[in-house]
Amino acid sequence: MRTVDEMRPDESEAQVAPHGSEAQVAPDDGPLPCSLHVYRYRRAGGRIEAVVGVFDAGLPEDDLIAQADEALERATFMCYAVAQADDFVEDELCFVPCGEHCEILSIHTNGWERHYGDHRRSLIEILSDLAAAVACGRLRLLDSDEIAIEAAAGDEMLHLAIDKPRALSKVRRAVDARLAAEGLDPALRRTTLLPISEAVTNMLLHGGGSGELTLRRLPDRLRAVVCDRGPGLNFLNWIEPPDVSGQASMGYGFKIITENLDVVGLHTRPAGTTLLLDRIL
Amino acid sequence: MLQTSIVPGPAPTIFLAGEMDLDCADGLRSAVAGAARGAQTVTLDFSGVEFIDSSGTGIFVRLCLDLKSQGVPVVARNLTAPVHGVFEMLRVRELVGEDVLPE
Repeated sequence: MRTVDEMRPDESEAQVAPHGSEAQVAPDDGPLPCSLHVYRYRRAGGRIEAVVGVFDAGLPEDDLIAQADEALERATFMCYAVAQADDFVEDELCFVPCGEHCEILSIHTNGWERHYGDHRRSLIEILSDLAAAVACGRLRLLDSDEIAIEAAAGDEMLHLAIDKPRALSKVRRAVDARLAAEGLDPALRRTTLLPISEAVTNMLLHGGGSGELTLRRLPDRLRAVVCDRGPGLNFLNWIEPPDVSGQASMGYGFKIITENLDVVGLHTRPAGTTLLLDRIL
Repeated sequence: MLQTSIVPGPAPTIFLAGEMDLDCADGLRSAVAGAARGAQTVTLDFSGVEFIDSSGTGIFVRLCLDLKSQGVPVVARNLTAPVHGVFEMLRVRELVGEDVLPE
């Protein structure tokens, strides 16, 4: 595998050599402030399993199952507040019915306390946006096994290691050349390239400063896999300025990603984040 | 990469061309700070911008708010289709004000 800087200037059309590695899964280390937790309830199994994060033993599982059953029964998006012993205020959980199962989303504050401003409101807005994207079918939350399979699906078209903002322009050119070769028209290329660039930027800003982009061809879609080994999705990054740009994102990058693509897959944990960005053909 | 060229004066115009992303932050801040020193108003011309993302948008918003807080009015003009699309999606007018982005 090569970094973007090792590509020749005229190489955006060229095949980058296969590298033999896929989105890899490293062990969990521990929670960050304001990390995403996702649980999945299947009626058939009658229990709740963790998809992102670990199931918090302090949560009232029977109550959650009752709420999930109701959400499935009524086919309705529902919210539920639950107090956490180590939390400065109640955590909000969103229940999103998805066919035969119910996704339960929560931003766990892990004892983090605000210092100024009304961050609590922002966190609830972020959670609602995520839950709405799941409810609309634009966001899929994947567990470790699912992401490992889906990140390796199809044929690899391009693979790049990226470790600096200066590479962004070259990355876009390389991806655009692939999209053009697949026959996407200029408008569709633009709306595909923008969210891929956003995901790579997020990786550089919040994902430990480096990571990998792989473009893959599946029978019915193009898929960009953006993978980092950073500290996982921390929603404080959405409401407080990161060091590099000095500008809080407020989740704008995420909004661009979900609104411009057909389907987005997400797996995040304290050892890294992987995004699947799908353009259905 | 973002290129900037400046028509100086009491009401300078900063012409932007190329790509506005995370990589342009330092260069754009520096160019605007230099041009805006002592200015009565600042115009940002986007006619050459081919690409902008949320980072580029965030830098633009921050610059506008900083200049306005210093009493320097800002106007953005000649938004290209990619810029217009992202600004609409992110409701940038609500953040910077209609004085910066007139209808």
